Amino acid sequence: MKEAPKITRILASEEFAHRFSRRSILLGSAVGVISGGLLLAGCSTSKSPKAGELSSAAPKPSPIESKLNMYNWAQYDDPNLVTAFTSAFGPAVQIDVYSSNEEMIAKLSAAKGTSGYDLVIPSGTYIPQMIKNGLLEKFDKAQLPNLAKVEPALLGRSWDPTNDYSICKDWGTTGYMYDTKVIKRPMLTWQDFIDAAQHEASGKVSVLDSPPEVAAIYFWAKGFYWATEVKAELDAAEKFLVDDFASHIKAFDSYPGIKLAQGGYALSELWNGDARQGLLASKNPERYKWVLPTPRTELWMDNWAIAAGVKNPVAAHAWINFILDPVNAFTDMQYTGYNTGIMGNEEKAKAAKLEYLDLIFFTPAQIATMDTGEINSAQARLVEMYSKTKAKAG
Amino acid sequence: MLWILFYSFGYKPDLYHSIATDRLSLGQYKLAASSTFFQTFMGTLRISLTGTALCFLIGFPFAYWLSVRVPPSRRPIFLALILIPFWTNFLVRTIGWRILLAPSGIFAGVLHFLGLHSTALEVLDTRGAVQLGVVYNYLPLMILPLYVALDRLDPGLREASKDLGAGRVRTLFKVTIPLVSPGIIAGLLLVFIPLSGDFITATVLGGAKGNMAGRMIYDQFLVAQNWALGSAMAVVLILLIAAVVLFFGLIAIVGRHIIRYRRRVELAIAV
Repeated sequence: MKEAPKITRILASEEFAHRFSRRSILLGSAVGVISGGLLLAGCSTSKSPKAGELSSAAPKPSPIESKLNMYNWAQYDDPNLVTAFTSAFGPAVQIDVYSSNEEMIAKLSAAKGTSGYDLVIPSGTYIPQMIKNGLLEKFDKAQLPNLAKVEPALLGRSWDPTNDYSICKDWGTTGYMYDTKVIKRPMLTWQDFIDAAQHEASGKVSVLDSPPEVAAIYFWAKGFYWATEVKAELDAAEKFLVDDFASHIKAFDSYPGIKLAQGGYALSELWNGDARQGLLASKNPERYKWVLPTPRTELWMDNWAIAAGVKNPVAAHAWINFILDPVNAFTDMQYTGYNTGIMGNEEKAKAAKLEYLDLIFFTPAQIATMDTGEINSAQARLVEMYSKTKAKAG
Repeated sequence: MLWILFYSFGYKPDLYHSIATDRLSLGQYKLAASSTFFQTFMGTLRISLTGTALCFLIGFPFAYWLSVRVPPSRRPIFLALILIPFWTNFLVRTIGWRILLAPSGIFAGVLHFLGLHSTALEVLDTRGAVQLGVVYNYLPLMILPLYVALDRLDPGLREASKDLGAGRVRTLFKVTIPLVSPGIIAGLLLVFIPLSGDFITATVLGGAKGNMAGRMIYDQFLVAQNWALGSAMAVVLILLIAAVVLFFGLIAIVGRHIIRYRRRVELAIAV
């Protein structure tokens, strides 16, 4: 559900610049993430010597093409894995980046199967329409034995019940984080978020740079379905956002975690992986508190999919199977901070003593409060109210 | 340009297409000119007019000093000092200000040291930060034409003015400024027009508070993928810029006529 721009962190500077990635740069936090000997383990799995092991797990498909063109979110996969893939299987991997689902879809629809891209990573809710518009190619599941390694709960989601076109790349949720020096009361719900934004945190609030997730703050707080198509609810959301909320917003920022942890915001709506990055980068993380708000919130999932008109189908399947391998998936999870949804990730993370596990893994009770939403007739309206909110905030 | 005009009458058919023009209407203009968006256009004009004025107020004395007071052998050094930052990528230059202005950044440290400001610096993500950023980014575009015009001005003319009894101020207003007016106009236009359409400075430094029309248009094209509304906004911006330029152009022309007219009277009396 991330049609918002995803900015890459450039330099070591502030929050500008994450227009491309869901994962901001590692910063010093990487050292914390990959602790101790795990660093070695993580690295060695992604280097070619060990890649032999991988190919035994997944027999090298042949004949394989010499190239693989990926159209991906920026910095969304560990570059070591890309190198390891090339040395194990052969294809040179070329990665182009996009910053929103819309951008990727626009490019694929305009090219009508001649985009030259083999792999794309759409968010789940966009998939049904992409299939309907003929933008995706069916998987050849015989080439994807590692599909069996994916957590069953992540298979057969509503957008692709048989996983014929897509498989989970990783998933996450939306919550908020706040500075306990500014907001001293307990915070639990989205209504608390709104209330604090209008009072003690006014003018120091950031919200995601994404139309549905800005409007969703209101829907979640009210307990409405956040992909509602009911006109009265949309009208109420617009009125609230433009008249009562916009003036308190400091920035529309899809990657506020680190800036929040440096005092740039007092309250930020953010994704769990970004909150974790902020905490890992902070000198006094106990000052900031992550909240998975009630009553409802989001579950988003990004998915590997093969673009229509794929030129290098064998390489594309080989990559998906490679990245679904439990060892590689765990490496990739450490890189992005988002759960890649492969069985055993949580146990490995506990064994490796990764920090802030509660920001990567969620209990079944928590997951039950998350909705994936959907792309529907309200989309244009959401974009319009988001544009108005932005104009009004300025 | 024509495509933008054409697209601005179209609409966004669905999520998967950015533009459709099978049904033309003025609907996008109605939306673009609605009070919410118009507020941003007005904010943009305020930033760009103030920015142009500030650039002129800083640029003119500097260009004058450089072309009149600085010995010719040293001028290239100062010109290089202006130009070298200008070679850097626009985005990088602007991001640099984020580091300088950060709540616990260098400026905050200096102000704190001088005892002028004790709490965290709250300049970033405001209109003020955007104003500062645009002046910094566009100042060279003001200085260069002014410098060229002033440099070409024969120093003898200023001396002659002095010899004929005019003071410094009178020489400046009656001789120097009228003679370099093409340079002034070029500088004003070079700064005002691109500044009005700038979206990088507003995106980097403005946060939610320092929104500018350029960024709004950028959002419509690339985030919302609504080319029709983006095009309509672009056309509105072009019209606004043209209106402002025309307005000041008219004032300048009328002003010049009035001055000439009055001078002619003076001359007549003198004869």
